[in-house]
This record gives sequence, C-alpha cells and structure tokens, in this order.
Amino acid sequence: MASNKKYWKSVEELKEKSSIVDTLKQNEFFEEIPTDIFLGDKETLETSSTTRRDFLKYVGFTTAAVTLASCEGPVVKSIPYIIQPNDIIPGVAEYYATTMANGFDFANVLVKVREGRPIKIEPNKDANGITNARVQASVLSLYDSLRLKGPKANGAEITWNEADQQIIAKLNEVKASSLPIAVLTGTSASPSTIKLIAKLNETFENVAHVEYDAISESAALDAFEEMYGKRALPDYDLEKAEVIVSIGADFLGSWQGGGFEASYSKGRVPTNGKMSRHIQFESNMSLSGANADKRIRVKPSEQNLALIKLYNAVVSGILTTEETPLNNAIQKAAAQIKAAGSKAVVLTGIQDKNAQLLALAINKALNSEVLDVNVTKNIRKGNDAHVAQLIADMNEGKIGAVIIHNSNPVYTLPNSAAFVEGLKKVKLSVAFSMQDNETAKAVQYSLATPHYLESWGDAEIRKGQYSLIQPTIKTLFNTRQFQDCLLAWTGSTTTYYDFLKETWNSEILGGASWNQALHDGVFTADAVQSDTISLEVDLETAASQLAEVKGSDLELQLYVKTGLGDGQMANNPWLQELPDPITRTSWDNYLTMSKADAEALGATNNHVANGALNGSLVELSLNGVSEILPVLIQPGQAKGSLGLAFGYGRKQGLKAEMQTGKNAYAFYKDFNSFQPNVSLKLVSGEHEFACVQLQNTLMGRGDIIKETTLEIFNSVDSKEWNKVPMVSLDHNEVEATSVDLWDSFDRSMGHHFNLSIDLNACSGCGACIIACHAENNVPVVGKDEIRRSRDMHWLRIDRYYSHEEDFAGDNELKENGKGVMGFKNTMDALEDPSENPSVAFQPVMCQHCNHAPCETVCPVAATSHGRQGQNQMAYNRCVGTRYCANNCPYKVRRFNWFEYPNNSKFDYNMNDDLGKMVLNPDVVVRSRGVMEKCSMCIQMTQATILKAKKEGRPVNTNEFETACSIACTAGAMVFGDVNKQEDTVKTLAEDKRAYHLLEHIGTKPNVVYHVKVRNTQEA
Amino acid sequence: MSSHYEAPIRRPLIVGDKNYHDISVDVAAPVEGKANKLWWIAFSIALLAFLWGIGAITYTIGTGIGVWGLNKTVGWAWDITNFVWWVGIGHAGTLISAVLLLFRQKWRMGINRSAEAMTIFSVIQAGLFPIIHMGRVWNAHFVLPLPNQFGSLWTNFNSPLLWDVFAISTYFSVSLVFWWTGLLPDFAMLRDRAVRPFQKKIYGLLSFGWTGRAKDWQRFEEVSLVLAGLATPLVLSVHTIVSFDFATSIVPGWHTTIFPPYFVAGAVFSGFAMVNTLLIIMRKVSNLEAYITEQHIELMNIVIMITGSIVGCAYITELFIAWYSGVEYEQYAFLNRATGPYWWAYLLMMSCNVFSPQFMWFKKLRTSITFSFIISIVVNIGMWFERFVIIVTSLHRDYLPSSWTMFSPTFVDIGIFIGTIGFFFVLFLLYARTFPVIAQAEVKSILKASGEKYKKLRDGNHE
Repeated sequence: MASNKKYWKSVEELKEKSSIVDTLKQNEFFEEIPTDIFLGDKETLETSSTTRRDFLKYVGFTTAAVTLASCEGPVVKSIPYIIQPNDIIPGVAEYYATTMANGFDFANVLVKVREGRPIKIEPNKDANGITNARVQASVLSLYDSLRLKGPKANGAEITWNEADQQIIAKLNEVKASSLPIAVLTGTSASPSTIKLIAKLNETFENVAHVEYDAISESAALDAFEEMYGKRALPDYDLEKAEVIVSIGADFLGSWQGGGFEASYSKGRVPTNGKMSRHIQFESNMSLSGANADKRIRVKPSEQNLALIKLYNAVVSGILTTEETPLNNAIQKAAAQIKAAGSKAVVLTGIQDKNAQLLALAINKALNSEVLDVNVTKNIRKGNDAHVAQLIADMNEGKIGAVIIHNSNPVYTLPNSAAFVEGLKKVKLSVAFSMQDNETAKAVQYSLATPHYLESWGDAEIRKGQYSLIQPTIKTLFNTRQFQDCLLAWTGSTTTYYDFLKETWNSEILGGASWNQALHDGVFTADAVQSDTISLEVDLETAASQLAEVKGSDLELQLYVKTGLGDGQMANNPWLQELPDPITRTSWDNYLTMSKADAEALGATNNHVANGALNGSLVELSLNGVSEILPVLIQPGQAKGSLGLAFGYGRKQGLKAEMQTGKNAYAFYKDFNSFQPNVSLKLVSGEHEFACVQLQNTLMGRGDIIKETTLEIFNSVDSKEWNKVPMVSLDHNEVEATSVDLWDSFDRSMGHHFNLSIDLNACSGCGACIIACHAENNVPVVGKDEIRRSRDMHWLRIDRYYSHEEDFAGDNELKENGKGVMGFKNTMDALEDPSENPSVAFQPVMCQHCNHAPCETVCPVAATSHGRQGQNQMAYNRCVGTRYCANNCPYKVRRFNWFEYPNNSKFDYNMNDDLGKMVLNPDVVVRSRGVMEKCSMCIQMTQATILKAKKEGRPVNTNEFETACSIACTAGAMVFGDVNKQEDTVKTLAEDKRAYHLLEHIGTKPNVVYHVKVRNTQEA
Repeated sequence: MSSHYEAPIRRPLIVGDKNYHDISVDVAAPVEGKANKLWWIAFSIALLAFLWGIGAITYTIGTGIGVWGLNKTVGWAWDITNFVWWVGIGHAGTLISAVLLLFRQKWRMGINRSAEAMTIFSVIQAGLFPIIHMGRVWNAHFVLPLPNQFGSLWTNFNSPLLWDVFAISTYFSVSLVFWWTGLLPDFAMLRDRAVRPFQKKIYGLLSFGWTGRAKDWQRFEEVSLVLAGLATPLVLSVHTIVSFDFATSIVPGWHTTIFPPYFVAGAVFSGFAMVNTLLIIMRKVSNLEAYITEQHIELMNIVIMITGSIVGCAYITELFIAWYSGVEYEQYAFLNRATGPYWWAYLLMMSCNVFSPQFMWFKKLRTSITFSFIISIVVNIGMWFERFVIIVTSLHRDYLPSSWTMFSPTFVDIGIFIGTIGFFFVLFLLYARTFPVIAQAEVKSILKASGEKYKKLRDGNHE
C-alpha cells in the first residue's frame, strides 16, 4: 500500500515558496556534521583515550560477536520460492472449482488451496453445490498416510510400465479366449469415462460395464425406468413442497444420493406464515424423522402396507388392506396431501421396486411440482441384477477379466466370499484403489489411483449440468488415474486431460469456453431435451406383490450413518470422531433397538463412573450370518425393528484406531436394507461406546430451545411464544436483558459480528462440525478420550429428545411438579426420553458473549473481548486453570488435556507429516495445557477486512463468513456484521423469532438463535 | 501477663506437679531424645506417600492434565477440592493463635504452636494445587503482576483466582512470621540447653540471637499483639476469598452469597478437627498430657460443635434459598446435589459435618479422648466431601443438559492427594522432633495462675 500522506513539519510550510522549506527538502541533516572540526582538532584527537589498537580491538570483537550471533540453526524443511509461481502468493488462499464424485457422494465444490496444498472443501454455491460432512472431510483422505502409494502386482510393488505390459498382455489373452472383460465401477456419472470404457470395448471387444452401488438404489431406478422409460432418479425440489410425506426415506441422509437438505430447509423456514409440513413414517430414528413435524414409528414390513394405504387414500382404492393402528395417521396424512395437491410429495425409502412405483404413482397422480422427472440425476446407477449376474458368471468361469474401479466390492458385497472365489477364477483381476483395501488385497493388480483433488475428470450429476474435476495438487504418490490407464491400455498416447478437454469441446461445451467451464467448475447446457416418457404401469400387481412381503417379529433395517456413509472414508479420523447427529455416538456402529425390545431381551445401556455409556452385547443372526453387536437403546425406534449402520467394520488399509464397528454389509442380503427373520441372542460382556451427549432430554428447560407451533406463531404476538425472561429490579419486573452490572460499551463503531442460527433450518447434518474441524485445526482425540467426555469440537450440535410427546409437554410437566417430592419425581422422570420423542437440534459454539463470564475469571487475562464482538483466546497467555470453562454456561470451551499433535498416543492426522499438510496455516495448532474454543473464524473475518482494505473499498454486504456459515447450505447459519444495515444477519438478529441462549444470565451473546416453529396443523 | 488471676472454679490448664524447669524438660524432651520406632514407622509411611505424590505430580506435568479424571464439563474436581480442604485446615492455627490471643484465652497456649505449624504445613499443601492444576505450570508466574516487556500485559484483577494468589501468599507469610516470632524464646531455650555445638549453633541461628532481656520480652509481646491484630482479619479474608472462586461465578450451586461466612465456619470446623487429630496423638506420644489436657480437647470439641452447626445451618439455608429463589437452574442444582448421582457424597457430607458434631453436646462424649479422635477424623472426611460436593455436583450438571457428564478420579488424582497428606506428615513429624512443640515460654507465664500445683497452693484446695 503506497502512501501519499504528507506529514506536517513546521509553521514555515504555511508560507508559499518558503526558502526554509525548500532548503529543508534538500538537506537530510539540519546541521552540518562537524567531521572536519573533529578531525582537525589535533589536541582532542591526541588526548582521546581510544587508541588505534583499541579501535581495532573493538572492530574485531564486534565482528566476531556479530558473526556468532548469526550462527543459528538452519531452517528445516522449508523451501523458499526461488522462482515464485505466477499465481501463488504465500499467505493468500487460492480457490479452485472442482467436483467430488466418488460413487457415493457427488458435489460441486470449491477447494481452498494454500501454498499448493488443498486444505479445505467448500460448497461451490454458484453451482448449487452442497457439501455434507463427508464431502467436507474428503480433503483429509488426500493426506491419508495409508494410501496405496504405487502399483502392485500380487502385493509386490511394480512399475507402471511393467503393470501396463502385463495387463495388456493378459487383456489380449482374454480377448483371444473371447471371454468377456467386466469393468465393475461405482456409479460413474462421468460422460468421458463412459466414453473411455466404450473405447476399451473397441480395443478388446466384449467389455461389459457393470455399475455397482455399495448401498443400492436399484429399486428406485428400476421403478423409474418402468414408469418413465429411463434408468435414472428424479430430482426433488423440496422447497416447493407444502406437504412432505416420507415412508422410510431418509432424504436428509443419503437417500437416492442425498443433497436435499438445502431445498428442504428453505421450505421449513416460516415465511409469510407458511412452512412445509413433514410427516415421516419410519422404523429407525433418522435425521429426516428427527426433523419431521410428525413422526410415526412403523416397522419396515408395515411400511409397505402404509404405502398401499396411502395410495388408496390419495389416489384410489387399489388393494384393500387390513385395518392397522396406522390407519388414522395415514388418513390424516392423505387428507393433507390431497389438500396440498400438486404441492405435496410422497417419498419412500423402501427398497422394493413395487413400493417405489407406488410412490411415483402417487406423485404422478398428484401432478406434484416437487419432483422433476425430466431433469434426472445420475448419482446412483448401480444395478443389483447385473452385479449378481457378474458374480455368478465369475464363479462359473465365464468372465475373463475383472477391472474394478471406484468400488470396494470385497468389503461391501453381502456375498463377498463368492466374489473373492470368483476373482480367483478370472484370468485377470485389476482394482484401482486409493487405499490398500479389501479389494486391492484380493486382486492380482492393485493400481494406485489419485484422490479426486489430484485428478482430472467430469461428472454429469444432474442431466444437462456437467461438472469438471481438476487437480489442485500434483499427485502425492506414484499414482495414475483409471482413465489414464484405460487410455494407455487402448494404445492411445494422449493423456486423460487432453481426452477430457477434447470430449468436452466436441460433445458438451458446444462452443463455450473450456477455461470458463473449468473456472466455474460446472457447465450447464442450454436446453435439456427431456428423454423420459410416461409409461403405463400395472400398479395393482405391484401393490399386491408389495402386500405379500412378509415381516417378522424382529426386523432389521440397515441404514447409512452421516459420518462414514458407505465406509470408503473409514480411515478418516474427522469422520470417525463426528458424533452421529441422532445418537451422538462416534467411532462405532451398533444395533439400535427400542426400549421395549431391549427390556424384553434383557439388554441395557448404562453409565460407568465417569459417565461413559456402555451397552449390552447381542448376537444378531440372519441366515447363517451372525455378528456380535452392541445395543444402543434408541428412542423413537419402532418396536420390533432394529437398526444397523453400514460403513463400519473395515479392517484393511486402516489404522488400528479406525477399525471400528462391525460390517453390516454381511446382512445386506439381496441388496435389501430391510431384512426380516433376524434373530437376537443376548451374549455376555459389555461394549464401550464413545458418546458425547450423555443426557438425552432437555429436562423441561424450554428456554434453551424455544419452540412454538405454526398456528401460534401466525396468530399470537411474539412476546407470548418468544418470552424474554423477567427479573426483579427495585421490586419491578423488568426484562432480564435490560439489567446490566456494567456500563455498556459503545459497539456501534466498526464491525460487530453476529452469527444467526435458525433452528427451523438446521437439520443437524453436521457439515459445519467438519468444516470447523478443517478450518480451525481442531484435533482428533480418539475413542477413549471421547469416552472421558473430552471431545475437542469447537462446534457441536446438541440433540434433545422430549420426555413427553413434545417439548411443550415437558415444560408443562415441569411446571406441574409441586412440592419437593413432586419436583424430584418430575425431574427424575424428565431424564428419560419418550418412546417416540420429539427431537430438536441446536448447534452450539462459543456464544461470544458481550458480557462473557469466562473473561472475568481468567487470572491472566488470556481470554478477553475483541473490538468486533469476539471473545478471543490468547493461547500464548493461557496457563490452563480451566476456570473459564467451568464458568461458561454453554460449556463450549475445550481444554488440551494432552499434547495432541506429534503424539504417538494420538495417532491421527496431526501425528504424521502427510496428515499435517491439511492444517490451516492461518490458525495456530494449540499445545497441551491451553484452553481453546470457537474464535468466530477471526482469521477469516480479518482476511476479509484486509482484502477490502487492499482493494480500497468497504467490505461488501454479506462478505463476512465463517467456516460453519459457508458449510451450511441449508442456510441455518448466517454470519455477518450487525453494524452494517444491509447484512442479512442484521435483519435476522432483530427478527421476532430471535433469542439468545440462556438470556436470563445476562451474558449478551453474539450468537442469535431463532425460535423453532413446528407445523402441527393437521388437515 | 503472668499476673492474671484465675478463679478457683476454673480447671487448671497445666495439670500435675509441674514447675518451670519441668516445663523446659518436657518440651525439650522430644527434641533432645531419640526417635522411637513408632516415629520411624510413621515417618517412613509419610515419606513413601510423599514420594508417590511427587511421582504423580511429575507424571501430570510431564504428560498433561489429561491423566486426571477431569473432562470438558468438570474442569475442577480433586485438585481444587484438595486445595480448599487444605486451606480450610490451615485456618485453625491462626484462629487459635491470633483470635484467641486477642480474646485473652489462655488455653490457646498449650496448642497454638502445633496448630500454627499445622497451618503452615497445610497451606504449603494447599498452595501446591493451584499451581499444579494449571495446564502449563511452567508459565505459573503469569499469575503474578510482574513488570514485563509486553506493554499493558498484566494480570486480570477481576479474577478471584488472582485474589487467591494474594490471599494465600499473604496468609502464608503472616502466619509464618507470627509462628516464628513465638518460636524465638523457645528456640533460645533449646539453644541454651543444647550440649552439642552443632545443635547450639543451629538453634542459635533459629532463635535470631534471642537474649531474654526485658526489652526482648517487651518487643516480643508487642509484635505478637500487632501480628495477632494483622492475622485476625486474615482468618476471615482467606477463606472468604477462596469462597469467591465459587461465589463470583455463574454456576448454579456456586453462585451463592452465603459462601464467605459458610466457608469460614467450615474452615474453622475442619481446622479444629485436624488440630484434634494431631494433638490427641502427639500429647500421648510426646508425653505432653500435662499441657494439652482433656480440657483443651473439650474446648476444641465445643468449637467443632458450634462451627459444625453453623455449617449445617448454611447447608439448609442453601437448600431453602434455592427453593425460594424460584430459579429452576438453582433448584435443580440443589436437587441434584442431594438426590442426583452423587447423593452418597452429599449424604456423607451431611452426616459427617452436621450430625456427627452433635454428639459433642454430651459432656461424656466430648471429654472422651478416643471419641474425640474418631469425630475429628470423621469431620475431616466430611469436610473433604463438602468441597467435592460443591465443586463436582455443581459442575457436572449445569445449564445445558447436553454437556452433563460425570467425574471419576484416576490413580493420579488419588496419588497426588495421598502425596500431599504424606508431605504434610513428613513436615509435621520432622517438626515434632526438632521444634519446641509447645509454646513453653507462654505456658510458663500461666504456670502460677493456672498450674494445678500452684492453684492448689493458692486456693488452699488441699486434698
């Protein structure tokens, strides 16, 4: 920043053309330096005690001293830019648009790159990118120290040349034997890859591409194909929905590939007196069920009947079904659907083509605007039948070669043993893998592939919307992309990059700029030709087939957990430590069970002396497959149903700490997440859970999560449903917020940051937790430490269950507990959640209180208030008395109990050089013994201010962001400057739904919550 | 002072046929004699415990506070419990020597030396905890207002923890000076009796050249009075400030205005109990029954009974105020304290601190040496649990139920506590063998007025 400031020097400057000013300008020194006089005065010189010899001594000593002072150790492992790359400025982050498409998660993302290192994933909001927790955490998998570091043949390292030669030779052999070559991949939404596989087919003939999803959506795909003539998934825009009825569809999880949280949340925020009504029929407590206005517990087998009944009630009587207690709920839901007409939608997660057909039929009958059958999604394409056929063929020796990419079938297949047997019978088996996982170990050639952040590629996530994948770092290891290998094997000399560019220029871009597309990360084709047709479907048969599905006393419903998803990122400590949004248990999967079933079985959950949760062990058996699993009693679990999450129990290519849980894929018979006829047996022993929230209910403390109903919200003054706590001042009742011990501080100048959290929009997905982890170098502490209640999360999402049917009931119960014993009995009762509770989520981080209790108690003033509203931590000053944490009513302060980085006892990413590359250089890594907590991403707000200053402009409207507010695509978290009239947060902070957490204490937080409104209106 | 008159109905404070020389001999005996087997056994056990404690502290400092049982919700537990417990114990000494001096209670003379020694030694133990509970002990000097090169970097005078630093250090230094002043004539007596030159030299140094001139005595009396005047407010201030650690916070169960008087009463309560524990053994082992009489023990038992009842009132007041406040968080904190997962600790606290001292209403019980000893131990246990209950049960379930958890100590927590007990007894046992454990100069001053023999002579109460 060049400065043109003029400094005032003397009165003379007032005069025009002052000679003195002119003279001064020329002269650096006001007075002549009397060198001549000094040297000329022989007498002084001679009497001077400094002799020539002394002078030389001084010079000598000084030189020696200066030389010694410069003898410092060399700087280790830091390489300066001798030639600085054009576009890298040390200290300034670069953002690249790319796409994550790993077969399970598909997202348009922005990658934050610092000094050549990708360090954080953010949603590419221009491309409607949504980053869930797994996408956010994917950057850490890049720096996984257990990655496959080069090609291997039968476990021995070879070179790429050798691999190419041997594989091509074998492929030619297979070609000669005229046996088919199977390319088994995860869902590949990549047009250029599909083109390459076709090219492989040209070269070697008889190449079959089998797509396989570890967690199948085959039923939905088949149903859509039957009804609309194309094997794809429809897109749902839940923002348009007034009524959402879901039967077993966890659409806020990874149902049909997920990605619905943003549109769902938009429809959930009451605007103009309206919000969507969400009714969920399900067996496991899912994230969607937890967010529903009405949740009805239904066993998986009964969900089939529920769907038929719903069809009967909404469309027409198709199949008479017996009366069940569900009838009433279904009639009510149907009435609401009918009332909403085309603004209603029915979703189902039942893995049965017939069920999917019925749901599509209902939506079709409603002419629902919510789902779009023309713009289809390509993020699930797996075909169970094809996979089953492939395994059968392999075992019969009908397959010559198997090339596996983007998939770990040996781990994920329910009949993995058969697959491994089959692999032995093929001439050539090749697996492309990032990790030395189960499949990589079972094949002849395991070829190391780069992470998506090191790769080129493309994906057509939604029809007509093409996304590009570009590398953001040079490959860390000796890896080569699947596509590059295909090119090499087909004898092509071009690189995949050239091939990709050519494909795009010739087939996709239609003359548009490649560079622009690469910059945007996405290219949207102008007009999308609809390629679906409406077909007649025999729904009656479908319904009768569906009705015939038999249930049993105990039914297993397999599900996907937010943290690990399908399990491919199991070696990612951030995801392992991410508490499940519902159970708030990390580092595990477990069998969820209703309290009634657990009691009948004799299974218990109990707390040990330090509060940690333990659970009984049971043996779950299904058709000869059995596994010993811990039981977690889950409020809201349908009686007679059990839940078990995929993604755990992996053993290969994982650090010992990450080998958690048990493999649920073993129970995934016929790729159906619903498995009746399971049997349970209590076995001896207990399992130790790492649960971060040990008290599940809100204890009737309605002021923590304020709630109201849409009806009250629309009709009554906000003072009634958003009550400000009152206190007595001079015998008058006044609002607690108006009483103040201190003189208030003028905060109207400069920036004043607030973070607004809308409890209506927050679905509890946990993306913000991982974003915070990545941005702020939050350490991972491991299962044992979590058990000791020592998680380090700066941001957590509290989940509460109600004891009564809803939280209002809890508050009422608490009010009615009269007398000492009444109070005690009520409180004891409130500790237990209801069998089917109402659920509330609340993200809690440092509230940055303007009157912070932590600040007054720190003896060394290590935590103090910033000028912009933040409560700041000076780690260097902290001596670790933990008084601040004790005095924090929100319990958001986290203490470094141990040295987490560079400690072999905490062998996570901060213990190896590779893993440390993910650290954000703008945020210090804390040492043992200091307190840490949310800083409101001060490094980000300061960077924003600096950027604006450099560009010589005021900070733009809504330019301030924090890691969590960026990650929250649901729009629940909005950050900004309340001193800036135009910032959204200013309006939000003054909204009638706005309240502060624990307002009565008078902490005056800078985090604002918005009263949760539930749409309880029944038809 | 020696000229005071004591009514015949008062029981003598020095029993038996003692003259001035006997007192000198009796007090000097443990110092001049050889340690018996029992002493060595006790000392070895204490030393072992102390070394274990050092090991546990070293492990903590070397590895991290994580080796304790603390967690994100319960940030203090045994560390601060032990701190407050030891500070509380350290209360009796100053109360006995300063307050009772001002009130001219002659019975303090038999016990004040050891009570003060106990004070000094327990404050040393107490002082350890605020230091080692820090995550970064090596930066402990940050809590001192030291001038530095960082401009306005200064301690936070709003913080009760900082007040603690001043309160404890002031209390420790004043107590030490007070104690030492009293020791001067007694050290001089030992010096004068010493036969070996080394001992003579050492006690000569320790007695600061006491000559026993009238001027010395006059200054001695004056200084004692001035220090007593200085120390008296400290008796109230130290524990008041310790209670501020909790009272000024916003944690339900801590944020209580009753804390200062309640803590002071509790401290006196536990301090007297500890004095009883120590002296009941010492009078036996060191043959000091003539100076630490049944009457002394009875009087201390009465103090225990009264302060115990005050503490009991405070407990009940807390419960009442919690209910009366109408604040649900406050109400729940106390409900949880009494009936929550730590109900057993609350029950232990109540029965040890409120019920057990009530036995002292019975003369027979409060004059029973064995019973007094048992009660003194019970009270010490009860007072430890009081602090544990206040700290842990308030923290483990505070405002947001999502953060509720439990606390369970590790072997390191226990090791450090045992270690301080060991350290305390190492100091006390060494003291018992090297220091004049009774303020003999002062005791001599009441021999004529309150010695059994002289009392009989004067009052003609011959049998």
